[in-house]
Amino acid sequence: MNGHPHHASSPRPCRLTEFKQVLLEALAVALIGGIIALAANAISPRGLNIARNYFPGSAHGVVTPPPLSPIAGLRQKGLQWIDGSKARLLFKDPRYAQQRVAFIDARNDEEYRHEHIPGAYPFDPYYPTKFLATILPLCQGAEEIVLYCNGGDCEDSQFAALTLRDAGIENKKLFVYVGGITDWTNRGYATEIGERNSGNIVPGVP
Amino acid sequence: MNPSLLLPRGRIADTATVLARFLIGAVFVYMGLSKALQPVEFLKMVRQYDAVQNPFLLNTIAAGLPWFEVLCGALLLAGIAVRGSALILICMLVPFTWMVLHRALSLHVDIPFCAIKFDCGCGVGEVPICRKLLENAALILMSVWLLAGRGRKLCLRYSLWQRPKRDV
Repeated sequence: MNGHPHHASSPRPCRLTEFKQVLLEALAVALIGGIIALAANAISPRGLNIARNYFPGSAHGVVTPPPLSPIAGLRQKGLQWIDGSKARLLFKDPRYAQQRVAFIDARNDEEYRHEHIPGAYPFDPYYPTKFLATILPLCQGAEEIVLYCNGGDCEDSQFAALTLRDAGIENKKLFVYVGGITDWTNRGYATEIGERNSGNIVPGVP
Repeated sequence: MNPSLLLPRGRIADTATVLARFLIGAVFVYMGLSKALQPVEFLKMVRQYDAVQNPFLLNTIAAGLPWFEVLCGALLLAGIAVRGSALILICMLVPFTWMVLHRALSLHVDIPFCAIKFDCGCGVGEVPICRKLLENAALILMSVWLLAGRGRKLCLRYSLWQRPKRDV
């Protein structure tokens, strides 16, 4: 004898009880996990605003999948668009230096710092409050505003335009550059790296 | 049969189950974090599935699901509420895998099925869909294995309802 009393093995709980226990455990994990997950989102600096519609422009406030083509999306949202030649003309326009023409980059911070059209202002439409204090006075004073993102299927320039339109900027001033930064660089135009007006200009390769 | 011969086999099964638990846990922590740190990108991915049209619900899924995956993965790594967490992972993996398959089938028009690639919103960028479906099937099978009650070794608290051990 080693001093420990002998225990008869306890009867194995029936399968139904075991199943209920697992189900209850899953429910507990789901409930606690859901609360923790939403709390983590609320604390995170990149967290989403649950109450906001990040994809405006759809009928009845519902979220619809991306349109088949960017032009179809622009038509549906009632927005104007331009191509690379027109964007270049506006870039060369003397009014650009006077901020009567404005270029707005609707991509995220990382993409903006990597490369943007020289002198363009950053405006990530998913985190608008960070930028509106700068962007709104600029747009109110500008006669023509060019918004762009990556081109192709990218819709962020459209969402940026809608955010500005909702903030009171006239629709007739807003032009979405459909080809975006991809078209700009493919055409061999210069870009800027880092902050706005950093002076770090990368000459284009025609 | 000599019972001693069964022992190594049982040990191998136990070790394999613990390794499977660690693997599933690590995969979910990694994939959850990669989405949680880029929530806007994940939000766009969720939208592409066109499964949810209500903005509030869409945002809640995109905001909560990545962190929820991290939590479930961490629970499996620590060995806490293992069967409950495994059941939840199955409940997430099965519909998600079906949605990926559904979307891949909608693209399967001119190109062979296994040549289809897209970013499924899994946190690893663009992937060949055949590979993704196989990975998910393996994760589901491993989760079912855990749900069946295997791999109780190296667990902090295997079941939330287990009675604390008492010294006699």
